[in-house]
Amino acid sequence: MALKPNPPTARPPFQPALWVVCCAVLVIAIPMQLLADAGFCPAVFNPYYLHVLTIIGMNIILVASLNLLNGYLGEFALGHAGFMAVGAYTAAVLATRLLPASSALPPVIGQVFILVVTLGGAMLLSALVGYVIGRLTFKTVGDYLAIITLGFNMIIVNAIQNMDFLGGPRGFTGIPKNTNFIAVTVCALLTIVVLRNLIQSSFGRVWVSIRENTIAAELMGVNLLRTKNLAFTIAAAFAGLAGGLWAQSQQFITPRSFDYIKTTEILVMLYLGGMASLSGSILGVVAYTVLMEVLRNLLSAFAPELAEWRMLISPLILIVIMLTRQYGLMGHKEWRWLRPKRVA
Amino acid sequence: MDTIIQQLLNAAQLGAVYALIALGYSMVYGIIRLINFAHGDIFMLGGFIGLIIVTHFGGLPFCLVMILAMLLTALVGVTIERVAYRKLRNAQRMSVVITALGVGIFLENLVRLLIGPETRQIPARLPTGSVVWLQQHLGVFVTWDKVLIILISLALMAVLWIIVNKTLVGTAMRAVADNASVVPLMGVNLNLIISVTFAIGSALAAAGGIFYGQAYSLDPYMGIDLGWKAFIAAVIGGIGSIEGAVIGAFLLAGVEVITVAYLSSNLKNGIAFGLLIILLLIWPSGIMGKPLLKKV
Repeated sequence: MALKPNPPTARPPFQPALWVVCCAVLVIAIPMQLLADAGFCPAVFNPYYLHVLTIIGMNIILVASLNLLNGYLGEFALGHAGFMAVGAYTAAVLATRLLPASSALPPVIGQVFILVVTLGGAMLLSALVGYVIGRLTFKTVGDYLAIITLGFNMIIVNAIQNMDFLGGPRGFTGIPKNTNFIAVTVCALLTIVVLRNLIQSSFGRVWVSIRENTIAAELMGVNLLRTKNLAFTIAAAFAGLAGGLWAQSQQFITPRSFDYIKTTEILVMLYLGGMASLSGSILGVVAYTVLMEVLRNLLSAFAPELAEWRMLISPLILIVIMLTRQYGLMGHKEWRWLRPKRVA
Repeated sequence: MDTIIQQLLNAAQLGAVYALIALGYSMVYGIIRLINFAHGDIFMLGGFIGLIIVTHFGGLPFCLVMILAMLLTALVGVTIERVAYRKLRNAQRMSVVITALGVGIFLENLVRLLIGPETRQIPARLPTGSVVWLQQHLGVFVTWDKVLIILISLALMAVLWIIVNKTLVGTAMRAVADNASVVPLMGVNLNLIISVTFAIGSALAAAGGIFYGQAYSLDPYMGIDLGWKAFIAAVIGGIGSIEGAVIGAFLLAGVEVITVAYLSSNLKNGIAFGLLIILLLIWPSGIMGKPLLKKV
């Protein structure tokens, strides 16, 4: 019997491997944070390792959501850090306002409640901003789209710099530390699962069809503006989530940390990992972050005078990878647990 | 009145620098459809090469310093294209863009490591006295270097216009921009034409870098900010069009200088980018650009 394609359902088939991986990650993550808090065996459960892992988790959310636009939808959006800024500042304002309420609640429940409210607010507002910007932006395509999204990134940063109640250019200080490694892990896993399901749903197929042939997709009855904007809004919401986590983990944010340098960093990790591949997004973030940290530690341990030169190594690696594998490490490929299950 | 003329001259000086960078963006884009994100950093590198020449060979006249720096930077630009972009010419477009981003970060960090992160200024080699004629007739105090920067930039743009429109190489460049797959069949050496384009673009950027280092200052990361601004200028004007890049550059510089002078310097970037978005929503392919055609 010939292999039939998956029926275009809105719900992908149940896939045990995905849940096994998610549970395994949680089973490792929760004790790590708890043991590190208890100060048990600091050589292994080191706050520094946890810090690096937390950054990896937040970057996975950013890179995977940008992959939705740049990889699956096939557009070139350059403004992801702007939505991250919206999320970060929303969460920062909410968290500082909710500080009295959290002390009234029991410890763990209070923390979870605050996180849900702040992150939900961050996602909602960045989704709203993303929706409005997307409505304006998707009238253009290609390089002009890239520039307009970048322009909105700069306008968001500039607007925050001119808002005094957000601290202006000096930044927003005194945000309570509501996130830890567990919260970031849960959010990153949720992002991966939601994005995977979206990409395998009929929405995802429409996005890929737009990437492969816009005109054909339009002729098949796809409302281009609405469909693209849906992807843009979802990506913005997840960037806001990452921003909300970032604000409550760093406890201090400045507008300048969300400008195009941040966007460039996200892009580098995205393209290092690979286009149109969630596995690639995870691998790219882990490889880039671990490489930078290992280089930093190795160089400062063995050749402190060369420590600065690691800044040259990372762009060189990026160039070499692009020259040898132009779709990135995992371009258009997925690990088995993220791959859609075939209906034979 | 005299402050307005002052501000206009400031805008013209900034616009000249933007235009010199934007032209490189626009030419490279026109020929191989690549947003060369490393171009802003080539501009920065050109400025620093000028600075090194001035500090080590103090006796050289200014025009020799400029020619030397432009040649060296052109060499760097051609090398970058040869090493990092040529292999990816037929690959999907975004991988070249990311390679260009990588090259840009590499150049920034290289200059930072070799020369240091401090802000520097190229010692003034242009006459800095006041232009007496302007002071007598208009009552405006303008220094000669500002006028010379604007004039030399305009001359360079004129030379570029002649090269592109009146010479054989320029004809080949325009032909490649029009159709890169047919032109090599006519016996045109595509690689040579692309190298020439990168050389000219980098040389113009180097001139911009030296002027910027004279009029303002140099630091290893300035290429990011100015590169983006120049790129916006090229896009506003219609990327791929030489006249458009110049118009866009002076327009953007004018808006920025007026914003800083009469509103607030905090709003500078926001208004520049806001202008970009509004203009692109009105003219989706820039003021002088050709609209993108959908081919089935």
